[in-house]
Amino acid sequence: MKIIVAIKQVPERDAPIRIAPNAKEIEERELQYAMNEPDAYALEEALQLKEKYGGEVVAVSAGPERVGTVIREALAKGADRGIHIVGDDLAGRDALGVARLLAAAVKPEKADLVLTGLQSEDVGMGQTGVIVAELLGLPHATLILQVEKTETGLKVKRELEEGWYQTIELPTPAVLTIQSGGTKLRYATLMGIKRAKTKEVRSVNAADLGVDAAPVVALERITLPKKQKSTQILTGSAKEAAATLVEKLKFEVRVL
Amino acid sequence: MTLLLPTLAEPLRFSETERWIFITLAAAALTFFWLRFGPILANILQSKKDADFHLRPLGRRVWDFVWEVMLQGEVIRQRPLAGVAHALVFWAFCAFAVVTLNHCATMFALGFLNPASPGGRFYDYVAAVFALGCAVGIAGLFVRRFLVRPKWLGELSWESGLIALLIFLLMATYLGAFFVEDNGAAIRTLWWAHTLTLLFFLPVIPQTKHLHLVLSPFTVFLSRGGFSRIPPLAGDEDFGLVAGKDLTQIVSLQAYSCVECGRCTEHCPANNTGKLLNPKQVILGVRAYLNECGPASDEPLLGKYNAQEAAFQCTTCGACEFQCPVGIEHLPIIVGLRRGAVNTGAWEDDYGGKLFLALERGSNALGLSAAERDKFVERNALPVFDGTQEYCLWLGCMGGYDPKGREIVLALARVMQHLGASFGVLRKEKCTGDPVRRLGNDLLFQQLAEANLETLKQSKVKKIISICPHCVRTIQEDWKEFCAAPPIEHHSEFLARHAAQLAPVQSQKKIVFHDPCYLGRYRGVYDEPRAVAALAGEVVEAPRHRERSFCCGAGGGLAFLGEEKGERVSHVRARELAATGAAIVGAACPFCNTMFRDALAAQGAGAPELMDIAQLAAQGLPEREPTN
Repeated sequence: MKIIVAIKQVPERDAPIRIAPNAKEIEERELQYAMNEPDAYALEEALQLKEKYGGEVVAVSAGPERVGTVIREALAKGADRGIHIVGDDLAGRDALGVARLLAAAVKPEKADLVLTGLQSEDVGMGQTGVIVAELLGLPHATLILQVEKTETGLKVKRELEEGWYQTIELPTPAVLTIQSGGTKLRYATLMGIKRAKTKEVRSVNAADLGVDAAPVVALERITLPKKQKSTQILTGSAKEAAATLVEKLKFEVRVL
Repeated sequence: MTLLLPTLAEPLRFSETERWIFITLAAAALTFFWLRFGPILANILQSKKDADFHLRPLGRRVWDFVWEVMLQGEVIRQRPLAGVAHALVFWAFCAFAVVTLNHCATMFALGFLNPASPGGRFYDYVAAVFALGCAVGIAGLFVRRFLVRPKWLGELSWESGLIALLIFLLMATYLGAFFVEDNGAAIRTLWWAHTLTLLFFLPVIPQTKHLHLVLSPFTVFLSRGGFSRIPPLAGDEDFGLVAGKDLTQIVSLQAYSCVECGRCTEHCPANNTGKLLNPKQVILGVRAYLNECGPASDEPLLGKYNAQEAAFQCTTCGACEFQCPVGIEHLPIIVGLRRGAVNTGAWEDDYGGKLFLALERGSNALGLSAAERDKFVERNALPVFDGTQEYCLWLGCMGGYDPKGREIVLALARVMQHLGASFGVLRKEKCTGDPVRRLGNDLLFQQLAEANLETLKQSKVKKIISICPHCVRTIQEDWKEFCAAPPIEHHSEFLARHAAQLAPVQSQKKIVFHDPCYLGRYRGVYDEPRAVAALAGEVVEAPRHRERSFCCGAGGGLAFLGEEKGERVSHVRARELAATGAAIVGAACPFCNTMFRDALAAQGAGAPELMDIAQLAAQGLPEREPTN
């Protein structure tokens, strides 16, 4: 099975985000980057499928020079080769613009499966994977937790709302967007990093892919979310307070 | 005076037949010795070279050799009774070297120690005193092994009985010669009995653990030095101890030197709480591997000969390495096996994987957001290090994120402010890499060490102080692999230095101090924390203290690995500390603190209070003037 994993590099979760004076992008200075977590799960799913059924895993990422590190990370964890779509204007493209780049780079690979995270941790639009599927003319499914190969194609488990799951079958080739937490991520190893040095990473210029860069969604302004914090003190006996707490956790915060 | 004492008898003449018998038997003994010892030596010499080995500093090696081998210093210090018995046997062997040479030479009329001459007579008597000591010593050791039977000696071994018998016979047949006539049938019988025992003993040496007789002087002299020194990986294909080809000459030499005394196991916290790990078996596992697969093999080291589960139960407390009388360095081997498993991805563990991912993506071992640390620093108005202060106060994961660890940091900050010592905390700080270092994740360890070294360099830090012995050890010793860090000290050292300027606490209580492994055995700091604790009351000792302190169970990354098998190390230690009747358990490590917090809570009401020495010292400070 030949699997492509599309990976985005995003600011590290703890990174202090500053907004650029033009209010349309974030300051890249002093920012640390990491692999988008849902993409890390997509990569993990791809590696497990390869371990089970054999084949090849190709990591693809679009962005400036720095995204080379997430491609290396993917290679270190077990991907066989990488494709780097080099472009400095990615932040100015919308989801469609990025999806066009990915689709153009992925198409000649004729993969059986294209995986990506269901959304990015920075912008969180959840669009790119689905648009790639449309551009490639492939069936797709979103919010996937598990993938199994069947005789005719794939059987996948999707996450629905309120703790419900759906299992569906679809033919290959296909595009799946992967939800975090469906499996356990592997850690990076020294051996992996050393082996990754000899693996191939092909660079493609974004401009050479011949796709339209003009955004169809206009970005007005970026703002930091307002911090909201409210404290409620539950009164009454311990028993009553506990009952109220459970109720609030269940129906207001929805964590139980 | 000497004339009144009996003279050592010797057979004066030997027949040609006797000579041929002797030559044949001696040749056979040497051949059998070499048949077994040759392959062992080959296994050691054909192992991979230790890339980081340096003979220098030679002075340290000579001193180790004199103290540990010649004087038997550690053997006696750690187990006085058995140690002295062993030393008597060892010294007698040294004294006997000349006697034995002379004994064999008499066969060819080449004897050089004339029992009648004053010099010969003198030496014979010196040897006789040693022989007497040896006979008593070996008898004592026999009684201990076969009648007292401490559990760490393991199964009864007929080999040991045989060896004890042979040594006893050697001594008895020597001493007996003082009481018979020259050249009679009696002396001839004694002479041959002594010779046959000797020739039988020789091939037994490499067959049994008595190989240590030949190897351990080299093991001690050639040790890596330091404590738990983990060698840097050499080259692109070195991932730690994966297979035989990764065993270095020092590791192989140490594996063959083990004398199976079981001191390591006797003191091992994992083994003592019902876990699989047995440090003695780890070493013997490597030996069995070498015997069966050899030093060039690709057969994994973890598998048939050593269990992965056991390797990951080690708290790296270092009691084994500290106790070993033949210079075996267990920790580089155990951590080496972990490196082999983690660096190649062979180790799969939910908790371990979580810890690694937390440190790959974040900054601390607790997996919390770095913003939590910023908030703590801000809320408590801890000064930020700007290059003007004397000390950089290193918070560490526990000091920056753990509620109890934070209390310790704040107590230390208060004392430092009171003393007028200027300090600041870094804006950004990552885990030192201690837990991943001990778990064998070299990739992550290097990333963390290098990132931190860069921060320290940019911030122009000159001196560091930390509440965590793990941070202290890792920053000072382990980071050296990449670049030397500024000097660091543990807060106990700082506080002890300033103890005279601190007022004793009003309400004096009984305090039992728990030596953290990474402060005591790793750093050799025992008196300083006690001096600080003494400000708050009378310091009493737990049965196991100082060099023999029993681990809290947190080290080696185990604090992050979830539920233990068997009994919890922390509970065993907390019970021991509470049983001293002390009102306060004094700690000096935030990891010990977190382990004992739970363990003492499990004891219910009446359990002693738990305090770090910084908190004890802070109790004596005048009431804080209200700020704003």
